[in-house]
Amino acid sequence: MSELFDLVLIALLIACALAVIRTKDLLGAAIIFSTYSLVLCLMWQHRGAPDVAMTEAAVGAGVTTVLFLVAIGRTVRREK
Amino acid sequence: MKRALTIAMLVLLAMPLLYAMSQLPPHGSATSPAYTHISPRYLERGPEEAGAENVVTDVILNYRGFDTNGEVTVIFTSLAAVLAVLLAGRKGDERPVREPAAEPSPPSVVVRFVVRLLGPFVTMFAVYVIINGHVSPGGGFQGGTVFGALVILITVVLGRSVAEKLQPLGVRRILQAAAPLTFVAVGVLGLALFGDYLAFPRDEALAWVRTSWLMVIEIGIGVGGAAIISAIFWQMGGDR
Repeated sequence: MSELFDLVLIALLIACALAVIRTKDLLGAAIIFSTYSLVLCLMWQHRGAPDVAMTEAAVGAGVTTVLFLVAIGRTVRREK
Repeated sequence: MKRALTIAMLVLLAMPLLYAMSQLPPHGSATSPAYTHISPRYLERGPEEAGAENVVTDVILNYRGFDTNGEVTVIFTSLAAVLAVLLAGRKGDERPVREPAAEPSPPSVVVRFVVRLLGPFVTMFAVYVIINGHVSPGGGFQGGTVFGALVILITVVLGRSVAEKLQPLGVRRILQAAAPLTFVAVGVLGLALFGDYLAFPRDEALAWVRTSWLMVIEIGIGVGGAAIISAIFWQMGGDR
């Protein structure tokens, strides 16, 4: 069961990573990237590293996404 | 042609890496070198020797304190770099930085009320994560980021003037440098009292000194982290 959970998380991670690369809409890419961080956070927690999981949730899923959104707001939304 | 070359290069690079990975001890194996030398010592004696119940905190702030000292300096330097880049872009260019066409409508009463309501609880949680980092997972980095996120939330919803009251202009520079400053202060204190940079007292009777020094560093990292995150956000113009 635990291994199955790991496999699902890894599959989600890879899917998110590919989606980030393929998405031309930068706003969408930033949101998918925050999902990636969230999945990674679950994985840290599941692997027994709650300290890293907290940092990943706060920095990766939270603050980084906000900074991306600000940057997109000041520039353009679509990748050329 | 170029594409085929790239793929060939990647395959060539992947082969030695995969070979090296196959030579690593299996994940979680108790006999791998990482678990047979220093880990047992950290786990057995960490809490009494280093001053915190949480072994991760012991390793980060005491056994590997010098590394963490470097890390917080790197984070502070990154803020300095962001400020330098964004300010340099503004200097020669006198045009105002793209003013919004119309004043954006303020967030609804519901959003403002919820943020005001949540503020104290989020602050409480951040302080808990910082202070309780000795016993449970968490610590200065994590708690500081939580509080920094709250400052960003307040900036977006209630306006920058409200959020900036949390960091008075006079002491803002010091708050931003809080993490390296407290680290170096504790380090120099150890140098003066116990003869080594970042030395913690070894005496059993001085266990409370170890714990309180760790606590001071955690609070410094938390305050500094929160100040840096909000400063980068403000400097990027996230409030407009």
